[in-house]
Order: sequence, then structure tokens, then C-alpha cells
Amino acid sequence: MAGTIGPMTMSVGAPPAHHSPADLASGFLTAGVIGASLTAFIGGWMVESVPMIVTGLVVPALYGLLFFLATLPRRASEAAVVPRTALAMIESLEAVRGETSDVPVRFDLSVVPDDAPAFRVEIWQDVNRVELTEYRSGGTVVVEYAPDRPWKTRIVRRPTPQWEERAAVAQVVSVPGPVMRSETPDSSFSGFLNLFGLLLGVAAVLLLFRADLFDFYEGDDGASPQPSVSSSSSTITVTSATGTVAIGPGRSMLDESELRRAVESLTQAADKRHALTVVVRDRLLTVVFPPAGAKVAGFDPRSLPYGRVAGLVEEARTALNVESPRSWQLTADSVTGPLTLRVVVTGNGGTGTLEADGKGEVLRRNGS
Amino acid sequence: MGWEEFLVLWCAVWAVLALAGYGMALAGVTKTQRMVRYTGRIEQVRMPRHGGSRTGGISVVISYRDVTSGQEVTVTNDGERGEVITSAWEGREIGVSHPRGRPHAYRLSISPEEPSRGLGRPTLALFLVCCGLVALAAVGWGWPWALIGLGGPLTVFAAVHLPGTVRAKNHRIEQLAAMDTVHGRIIAVLEDVTVDQDSGTSTTITPVVSFTTYEGTAVTAHCTSNLPDPAASYGRDVTVHYAPGDLADFTLDRAAERRGQKLDVVINALAVVVLLATTVAGMAML
Repeated sequence: MAGTIGPMTMSVGAPPAHHSPADLASGFLTAGVIGASLTAFIGGWMVESVPMIVTGLVVPALYGLLFFLATLPRRASEAAVVPRTALAMIESLEAVRGETSDVPVRFDLSVVPDDAPAFRVEIWQDVNRVELTEYRSGGTVVVEYAPDRPWKTRIVRRPTPQWEERAAVAQVVSVPGPVMRSETPDSSFSGFLNLFGLLLGVAAVLLLFRADLFDFYEGDDGASPQPSVSSSSSTITVTSATGTVAIGPGRSMLDESELRRAVESLTQAADKRHALTVVVRDRLLTVVFPPAGAKVAGFDPRSLPYGRVAGLVEEARTALNVESPRSWQLTADSVTGPLTLRVVVTGNGGTGTLEADGKGEVLRRNGS
Repeated sequence: MGWEEFLVLWCAVWAVLALAGYGMALAGVTKTQRMVRYTGRIEQVRMPRHGGSRTGGISVVISYRDVTSGQEVTVTNDGERGEVITSAWEGREIGVSHPRGRPHAYRLSISPEEPSRGLGRPTLALFLVCCGLVALAAVGWGWPWALIGLGGPLTVFAAVHLPGTVRAKNHRIEQLAAMDTVHGRIIAVLEDVTVDQDSGTSTTITPVVSFTTYEGTAVTAHCTSNLPDPAASYGRDVTVHYAPGDLADFTLDRAAERRGQKLDVVINALAVVVLLATTVAGMAML
């Protein structure tokens, strides 16, 4: 006996929500985290900076955990929805040619549930090429859909015998009305937003770790002779955030008076008494000032133990087992607590780090 | 932060995760332990289409009795439903499990017996802790410790498994000798073409054999080994040896099975020797 199933009411036809602001924001954030962590990880390996590598690993892990926890309620409520089975009529179908055995097929379906309003939906589903002959326009299929997301309808490839029989004898009437689609036309906008997020993440890491990243290359330059640098005088550059002093060949920051003079000239030129970080290399001094209005403590660069700098660098060169040390760098900051001096010596056989307190007393040695 | 601190952090994180996992398994609250389990039976086996796909296994209809409601429930292996059924016959027992209160999210398993305790992930975490410790030892005390740290535990692991492998080989050879022999036929050859960006397309050929046991049970199964020229095997008559106790345990070539079992023992013994040599080499280089 052939039964006819007609639509109970006209289609509800509520089209699926376009990208909600929350979706866009999460896509943007995810792209940002991907960009930032990749940049930090790769950059960290390039300049051999462990904090950057760790950032590159920890940030995505933390973000993944947060994302998992944040989406837990939504996924739980989605999983609790019992999918419904219904008969549907294939209004039209269109297979995309491809080399694989499963080809993507676009189905336009009239879904007629037993106890709910009928609706029209357009879906994409992979179908095996051999099984493609089973689907034809006007044919009846068994579908499964979540009542709260009918645009996620799926054709059941292996229905239970009971539904198989129903599909074989029933005639499903076509449903008029708007066709629901799961794809949204404004996806190019979200694509741009994601790209923007990615670039922003990359930029954020480059800015945050600029000292690590760009000093690495400057350090290399410093090792090679630079003919254009004036030999007798020093070059002072001051911006609102940083100040640098470069001194000519034949002079060295290891000289106590040279270093003191450079720091004095910078603090006077910038009219700032506090520094976040002071970086000293053989012929280059860089002072990072706290941003205007920021309540960051910092320290007075003039309080540095100038007399100990040469001794610390010498100790780092000799006591850390660094093969033929080429360059050194002293970093002073009080970001993590009391003033700490860190001397990094780089040679052919790796790097060595020496840490000292604000008075120049050695705290730790790390050779490699 | 240096490499040592990083490795210590690595070990600590995985150790915490492993402990949490084992704790959950002991308390009986892992995901697999919270599943409701039934034993279902295959009611109907649908013939695979020649040239179709192997994904999803052999299409079957399974029914089980829901103990709480007393109702007979019929399900199929449509979509992602846990273990793939590659050999099917009417009456075969299949494990059906689902999270409490969500019977629609059911999963199938080939062996309906003892449920797993969900120890896989914590054990993986523990392995990662061990790797971290070995790396720490290698960084701290010299690289030969990496050889000792990896070779030592693995040698013990392989050596402990060796008697089991020998027993399994003997048992298997007895099983092979006790097998019944019937005629079967390749009723379909499944073809899965996937596209690889580097090497173009790759095709997986899966012949499907059908045979009827002396008891009259018709078995349909994927048959991926010991069949020469599988692509052209459609319609071919074959000799099937099957274990009467477990119809999923069948082979087309008993001699090849026997050789394979012997090879297993040889590989296991070789692994013990190589790992032991690694450990000894590490010790000698200290």
C-alpha cells in the first residue's frame, strides 16, 4: 500500500543564522592565536629564545583549553538534542566531478517529518560513485536532522529496515517555500577578518619580542665592520619609548666611564629618570623607557653597578665554557622583581648566561 | 628559563594529566566507564555493492534489548559508529554502548565482553613523562643516557612479551590446524580512491568474501590478505579455512599464516637483542 505524505503546514523556512558576532570574534581570536604562536615558536627557534618557544607552545594550549571549556555548554546542549528521522524527496541533485570514489553532491530536499512542519533544505553530502545511481530527482530517501538545526540534515545511507520499507512505498509531496542553506554568502568577510586576526597575532609577537628578535640581527651586524659609522663621536637616538647610544670603533662600553657617559647623555636627552630595560653591547647602549602614564616601577639606570660590568662580562666569557666567545650582551631589568643583570655570551659552541643582582654579585651561571 | 626547566615543566604537566587519568579510571568515571552497555545481535547482513566503498564496513542491522525499558531496539552501522564491522553473519554478537540518557549516540564494538577502562590516554601521558625524563637525563648527564633510558625499559618490555608471543604462536598454530575448510566466493571488490596532493590518487582494493559454514551460517567478510591479484578477484572461488569458535577468524592460506606467526616471534626476539645492545652500548659510552 502506497501512502502519501504531505506537508502538515507550510515550511517554517527560517534560514540558518549568518555568522553571529560571537562566531566572527572566535574566528578572529583563533586566527590571532595561530599567528602569534606560530611566529613565537618559529622566531624562538631562530633566535634561540626559550621564552618565545615556550610562549609559542603554551599560548595555543591555554587557548585550546579555554575554547574547550567555553564551548562545553553549547556542545553539551547540541549533543542532548535527539536527532529525528524523516522521509524526504529529492527535488534535485548535482554531483561534482572528481577523481575520488566519494564525490560531493548537492541535494535539494523536501523533508516531511511525521510530527513537525515540513521544510526545504539544500545540503552537501559525499556519496560513493557506485551508489550515486540510487539517488535521482523525485526519489524518496530517509534523512536525519537535528530539530534545532534543520539545515544540518543528512541522508541516512543505511536506514533501519522499517524506514527502508517506508521509503520504498511512500510518496513524498514536494514542499514549496524558501530553501535553507548551511552556507552563508558573507563568508568572504569572515575570511578577511580571520586573515586580519592572523596578521595582528604575528604583529603582536613581533612587537612584544622585538628586543629578542631584532637585536639578534643587529648583533650580527655589530660583529661585522661598519664603515659608515663615525669614528670619533657617538650617535644618540631618542624616541618616546627607547633611547640608543652607538659609539665609534676603538671604544667599548666595557670602559666604565664610557658606559656612565652614555647613560647620562641618554637620561638627559630624554629627560627621563627611569628605565624598564637597559641593554648594553660592545658599542651599543639601548634603554627602554616606561610608556608615558604607565605605572610601571622601572629603575634608575644611573644606579647600575658600572664598575662591575667589565668584570661580569669577563667572567661570563671565561667561566661558562663557551667556545671562542664572539659577542656579549648585558641586559638589566627589574620587571620580575629586584634589579637583575643578565650577561649572555655567544660563541661558536653555543651561549652562556650569567645572572647577577643589582650590586653585581653573581647569582647563577648557565653554560651550554 | 632554560631547557632543564622546560623539560621539568613538560614532565610535570604530563604527570599531572596521567595521574588525573588513572585516578578517573580507578574512580570509574572515565567516558568509556560511564557508557551503558548492551549485547546486540546482527539481524540482517546487507550485501556490499561491487565497486563500492569499504568505509563504514559491512552494512548490518543490529537489534538489542534495552534492559530498562524492555524494548527491542533496532539500529544500523550508519556513519561514525565506533568499531567497523568487517565480518558479519546473522546472529553475531555486537556490543552496543551509549552515554547514559542518549541512546541515539550509540557506538558499536566487535567484542561485547569486558569494557575498556579508558587507560589509553593516561598511559600515553606517562610515556611522554618518560620521554621527558630521558631527555633530562641526556641533557644533564650526557647523551649515552638517552640510549640507556630508552633502551632499558623497552628491552624489559619486549623481553616480558616474548614468552607471550611464543605462546600465542603455538596457540595460533593449533587453532590453524583445527580450522574447518569450506568453499567461498569473492562476491564484491570494493574500491576506495583518495587523492593525495603529492602523489596523485591512491586506490585501496578490498575484496569481500562470502562463505557458508558447516552449520549453515553465511559469513560475509572483508578479505585483505593472502589473495593474489585482489583487483581482479571478483567472482573467484576460494578455499576458506575458519575457526568454528569464531567465524571472524578465517584465512585463505594457512601456510602463510603459520609463517607470519613464526616471523612475529623472530621480530620480537630481534627487538630484544637490538634494544639490549643499545642499552649496553649506552653503558659502555658513559
